[in-house]
Amino acid sequence: MFQYSLILFAFSVQAHKEGNPQKLLEMNGHTAVPHSYDYDLIVIGGGSGGLAAAKEAAKYEKKVMVLDFVTPTPLGNSWGLGGTCVNVGCIPKKLMHQAALLGQALQDSRKFGWQFPEEVKHNWMTMTESVQNYIGSLNWGYRVALREKKVTYENAYGEFVQIFPLATNKRGVEKLYTAERFLIATGERPRYLGIPGDKEYCISSDDLFSLPYCPGKTLVVGASYVALECAGFLAGLGLDVTVMVRSILLRGFDQDMANKIGEYMEEHGIKFIREFVPIKVEQIEEGTPGRLKVTAKSTKGNEVIGGEYNTVLLAIGRDACTRKIGLDKVGVKINEKTGKIPVNDMEQTNVPYIYAIGDILQDRLELTPVAIQAGRLLVQRLYGGATTKCDYVNVPTTVFTPLEYGACGYSEENAIQKFGEENIEVYHSHFWPLEWTVPSRDNNKCYAKIICNIRDNERVIGFHVLGPNAGEVTQGFAAAIKCGLTKEQLDSTIGIHPVCAEVFTTLSVTKRSG
Amino acid sequence: MAQRLALRRLLAGPGRALGTSAARPSAFNVQDGGDFQERVVNSAKPVVVDFHAQWCGPCKILGPRLEKMVAKQEGKVVMAKVDIDDHTDLAIEYEVSAVPTVLAMKNGDVVDKFVGIKDEDQLEAFLKKLIGA
Repeated sequence: MFQYSLILFAFSVQAHKEGNPQKLLEMNGHTAVPHSYDYDLIVIGGGSGGLAAAKEAAKYEKKVMVLDFVTPTPLGNSWGLGGTCVNVGCIPKKLMHQAALLGQALQDSRKFGWQFPEEVKHNWMTMTESVQNYIGSLNWGYRVALREKKVTYENAYGEFVQIFPLATNKRGVEKLYTAERFLIATGERPRYLGIPGDKEYCISSDDLFSLPYCPGKTLVVGASYVALECAGFLAGLGLDVTVMVRSILLRGFDQDMANKIGEYMEEHGIKFIREFVPIKVEQIEEGTPGRLKVTAKSTKGNEVIGGEYNTVLLAIGRDACTRKIGLDKVGVKINEKTGKIPVNDMEQTNVPYIYAIGDILQDRLELTPVAIQAGRLLVQRLYGGATTKCDYVNVPTTVFTPLEYGACGYSEENAIQKFGEENIEVYHSHFWPLEWTVPSRDNNKCYAKIICNIRDNERVIGFHVLGPNAGEVTQGFAAAIKCGLTKEQLDSTIGIHPVCAEVFTTLSVTKRSG
Repeated sequence: MAQRLALRRLLAGPGRALGTSAARPSAFNVQDGGDFQERVVNSAKPVVVDFHAQWCGPCKILGPRLEKMVAKQEGKVVMAKVDIDDHTDLAIEYEVSAVPTVLAMKNGDVVDKFVGIKDEDQLEAFLKKLIGA
C-alpha cells in the first residue's frame, strides 16, 4: 500500500493534466505506463557504480542517460568521466604505491647484484604525468564504451526538480529530462576541517594525484586508509612525512592489524603525532610548493604545537554528495547527519522508482567492486527478471600501506563481540617473505591471522594478512570463505612453496595458547 | 581537467611545436568545428587528419613522423591535428575509438584511414595514395 501512494505522487503531475487521479490508483509498478519518458533510466553519477549500471541497462536495450559532473576542488582541480576510483582514488593510488614499492625494490636489488650509483632520486613530475596519461586513456575508454552501448552521456550536474531531473552543464545551460527510473550514484568528496586556512592552503586526495609540483615536506591529517596509504607512498618516494592522528588508526578495521601497520610505518621513517588536531593553517610563503604553518591542539589537554610543512594533505573522511541534488524535492529520505541514503536490500530508496548505489549508501561498504556488483545486479533485477541481491557479506578488502593489509570477514574484536571470546579460535603466525631474506628486511613484521568459529566446525570467519601483495593473496581466500572454508579444509590444502600465502596452510599456534 | 592541463603544458617542451622550420608550416591544430569545416572538409587540397590525445604515448611518436612525411610532399597535402579531449564531438562524429587514428580526406570525404603507429615508408605510401588517387 505504501508503494501505491508513492506512485500516485510520482504521477501526480500527469494526473493533474489528465484530471483523473482515480485511474492511476489501479496501476501497479508493472503495467505499462501511459506516458512516454525521455529515458528508461537516468543515472546520476558516472563513477564505478553508475557506469556499471548504465552499461548493463544498455544490454537490455533500455534507453539510458548518464549525468556526470565534477565540482572543482577548492583549489580548482577537476577530472574526466569515471568517478573517484579511476581519477582520484584506487587507480592513481595504487600506481603511486607501486612507484614507492619500486623505490624499495631498487634498494633491495643491490643485494641481488644490481649495480648503480649510491643515490637514486625520484621525479614527481615524471610519475604524475605517466599516471595522468593512463587516467586520460581510461576517461576516453569510458566515453567510447558508453557511446558503443548507445548510452547518452552528458557532462552535466544533475539535480531533481519536482519529479524530473534537471541537468546543468559547465556553461550553465539547463535541460529538463524525464525518466521512468533514476539511479543515484553520486559518491563522496573529501571532508574539510572547518578551520582557518583549510580550503585556501590544504590539499586533499582530489588534488594530490595530479599535483603539478612535488609536495615536499608533507603533513597528512587523518588516520583513515586514505591518510595512511598516501603518507605511505609519499614517504616511499623519499619525502619527509608526518601523520597527525586524532585518536585511533583505521577506525572500523581490526585494531590489532591497524596498530601493526602504524608501527611498521613509524619504524620506516614516517612520523606520527598522536592525539592532536589542527586548529589553524597559515601561509608563510607562496610557492609550488609553498611553506605552511600548522597549529595543532591536543585532544587530551591544552597543549598547542606548531609545525612547518610544504604541503598539508587532509584525509579526515568523505561526505556523500546527496545534499545538493534536490532529493528533498522528490521526497528521498537521507540520513541528515551523515548525508547517506538508507536503502532496502534491493538498493531502493523510500521512493520506489529512485534507486541508489555505491559510497552514498548507509551501512554499506565503500568499495568500487561492491558498487559495480550492486549496480549490475540491480539492473538485472529491473530489466532482466533476475532476483539475485547483492551479497555484502565477506567482502574482501586491501589497504595499500607500505606493509599491505588484506582482510576478509570479521575483525578480531567484532568476532569476539558477535560470537563470544570462548567460541572463537584465533590462529596466527609471523612470516618472512623469501624475497626479504637476502636484502635483510624485517623478519618479524609480516603476519597472518585467521579467526575460526569453534561452534560451527571451526569455520573461517575472519582472514587477515599483513605482507607484500596482500591483495593478490586475499582474493583467492575470499572465494574459499564464500564457500564455507573450515580450518580443517585449510589445513588439508597443500601450500605453494616458496610463497607468502602458504603460511595459511600451516597455521597451528593459537592466540589462546599465549 | 584544469590541474591536469596545467601539468601537461608545464612539461611540454619545444619539441611539441606543430610546424616545421619551413616558411609555410604543413600541420595545424584544429580550433573548433567551424575551423574543421573550413580547413579540412572544404579544403581544395587533400588533408590527413591526425586524431591524437595528450595521454597517448604512440601519438607522440606518430605525430612528428607524419608531419615530416607530409612536409616531404611539398605542399600537395595538408595535415590537420585534432586533440580528441578538446574536440570530442569531432572525434565522435568521425567514430574515433583509439588513438592515434589518421584519416585521409578528399573533398570532404574519408577515403582512407589507419589506427596506430606506422613507419616512414608506410606513411609515404599512405600519402602518395591520397595525393595520386
